[in-house]
Amino acid sequence: MRAFRYIRHMVMGALCGLFITGGIAHAQKVIRIGAPLELTGKFVIYGSQGQRGLEMAVEAFAGTVAGHRIEVLLRDIQSTNQGAVSAMTDLLEKEKVDFLIGPIASGLVSAAVPAWRQRKPLWIVPGASALSFEEAIAGESMVFHTYAWGYGYHTGPANALAAAFGKGKKVAIIYSDGAYGRSHLPDARKHYTEAGFQIVATELVRENAADMNPALQKIRLTKPDVLVALMQTTDGIVVAKQIHVAKLGIPILVGSAFPQFQTWVDAVGEAANGWITAVAYLAGQAVPADPKYPRIFPAAKDWEAAFTKKYNREPELIDAMVYTSAAMLFLAIDRAGGGDKERVAKELRNLGVETIMGEGKFVPTPGGAVNQAFNEMFVIQRQGDKIVTVWPKARSNGQFKPIQ
Amino acid sequence: MTLLPQFLLDALLLGGLYCLMAVGLALCFGVTRIINFAHGEMIMFGAYGAFLLSVHFGIDPLLSLPLVALGVALIGFLVFKLCVQRVLDAPHVNQILLLFGVGLILQNIAVLIFTGDERSVTTAYSLASDQFFGMMVAYGRLIAFAVSIGLTVGLIVWLRISEMGRAIQAVAQQRDAAKLMGINVTAMYMVSFMVSAALGSATGAAMSFLLTITPFMGFHILIKGFAIVVLGGLGSVGGTLIAAFVLAFVETGVSYYVPEGGGWAEGVALAVLLMVLILRPRGFLGQAVDN
Repeated sequence: MRAFRYIRHMVMGALCGLFITGGIAHAQKVIRIGAPLELTGKFVIYGSQGQRGLEMAVEAFAGTVAGHRIEVLLRDIQSTNQGAVSAMTDLLEKEKVDFLIGPIASGLVSAAVPAWRQRKPLWIVPGASALSFEEAIAGESMVFHTYAWGYGYHTGPANALAAAFGKGKKVAIIYSDGAYGRSHLPDARKHYTEAGFQIVATELVRENAADMNPALQKIRLTKPDVLVALMQTTDGIVVAKQIHVAKLGIPILVGSAFPQFQTWVDAVGEAANGWITAVAYLAGQAVPADPKYPRIFPAAKDWEAAFTKKYNREPELIDAMVYTSAAMLFLAIDRAGGGDKERVAKELRNLGVETIMGEGKFVPTPGGAVNQAFNEMFVIQRQGDKIVTVWPKARSNGQFKPIQ
Repeated sequence: MTLLPQFLLDALLLGGLYCLMAVGLALCFGVTRIINFAHGEMIMFGAYGAFLLSVHFGIDPLLSLPLVALGVALIGFLVFKLCVQRVLDAPHVNQILLLFGVGLILQNIAVLIFTGDERSVTTAYSLASDQFFGMMVAYGRLIAFAVSIGLTVGLIVWLRISEMGRAIQAVAQQRDAAKLMGINVTAMYMVSFMVSAALGSATGAAMSFLLTITPFMGFHILIKGFAIVVLGGLGSVGGTLIAAFVLAFVETGVSYYVPEGGGWAEGVALAVLLMVLILRPRGFLGQAVDN
């Protein structure tokens, strides 16, 4: 009897051992995703949205993909080039990750390219609209870019305005002297000229300038029909307020990206009225769920409701963009059956899903990017409290209203 | 010529804003001989204070200014007691590094509390303007100018006529002599640091309806303020006043009269600073600071 008990204990012990070992083995099956993001510093707004998008995506997969636990290795790049390089080097050389998401800001992503080249992991880039980045990653099959290129901010509004108001109108451009404004300027000039507009003034302002009125007063003298502002949201707030106060009498105001953000609207109040911009995502649009993966890619209203419930705020562009990008990566890992980056890359290229950002399908671009998704943008105008989609016609729910 | 009246007005109003940015910094250096590299964060907290009181309690930034100044003066008190007091006699580089670090910590505290979202207060007057004699007068900027001049004049008067103000001036002129006269030097340092922080927060409150509020707004303002203080003469409130207007007129002039001058304005202003420092190293009204 005693021997039996002893044997029973031995067996139980062995089983427990097996269970624990199995547990450890199971815990060791981890997919590690490196996420170098702007968690502090001047682009913290991008990084915090990116972090929320990632959290939502991990939750959508209940933290597991293809039987592997998803482990996100967040690294703060402090919104600096040096921080981006250090974080990438740490993730690639020390952590040996095969998958990366981020950073978001163009300059920081470009700074991270040489570090990425050391091992060339699969890199999802949900931002970086600068064409210099498109040139830098031309022909690179392991880079997956999931945001429209910078020219999208100009082709859409230029064509839409030409269709609505005819050709030959006068355009003035005000741009900030940082990388953002300078990188957008040639594209804005090119696409407005090609759409039949005449560029009558180009005025430069310093980033974080306290007074943009001199530039605005010089623009007033040229009597433009359209004013295009190429700057980040921080300067977009100041310029919108100062344009409103200066009573320039320009009927059409176009912003590079900032007019889509609710934070900008809250900051400028009634000065937001009439501004036009191109957007890749806007909360409140009627976008259906993906028929095959409705839990991962739900209808926009359901995803936005879940987001609002979790974070007590409406999602913004980067929340949605990083969620969609990460969810597509996780789905590709799932379909590849694990973390082999070549197989995951192949699955990503084969994906075709309906997402809150539009059709999630990677295609090459004429500029040389091998894997590009979500390059389509639509044009909106803020009309009082409403946002009206004015272009393309197939998607529009209203018409341009010039500012009185 | 068409732009001349507008140029003069814009330069004047910008000068007022610059004056407010720098006067607190000038006071702090004049008395303690410490360059407060966390001054930008005092401005930032002032701006957030005005924003929060406006959004949550509907209090106008101008009315909330005393409350905000009091709150940030308390932050100044804590920074002084916990950090500055320990390095009063340390080398300048230690003081600068410490306060730079304090500034970074305050920035990140602001990120945690307020997030990185850009904000700005919107009041009726901040978006209002009228045309007078061919000039477009922005009421928001005019009000900020009035606040700036009021606070700067108030500071000068307080330093001249109040007992504490005179004690602070005595400490600024000769610390050891002031101590021999029975003045509590450390207490005067603390009061100047707190008043400097309060002035910084007033700057933030006055700018909360003009500019964009972010946790990182302070650094650019600090750099500008520092340039003005150096140009005016380290420690001289009067010199700071003159330098603020000189810099504002140079920058605005370049912006108006040079093609794409907005990009050159700051560079030209800093070149002026360099020239003044070569010809007159003490700045406009500065005192010797070799000790």
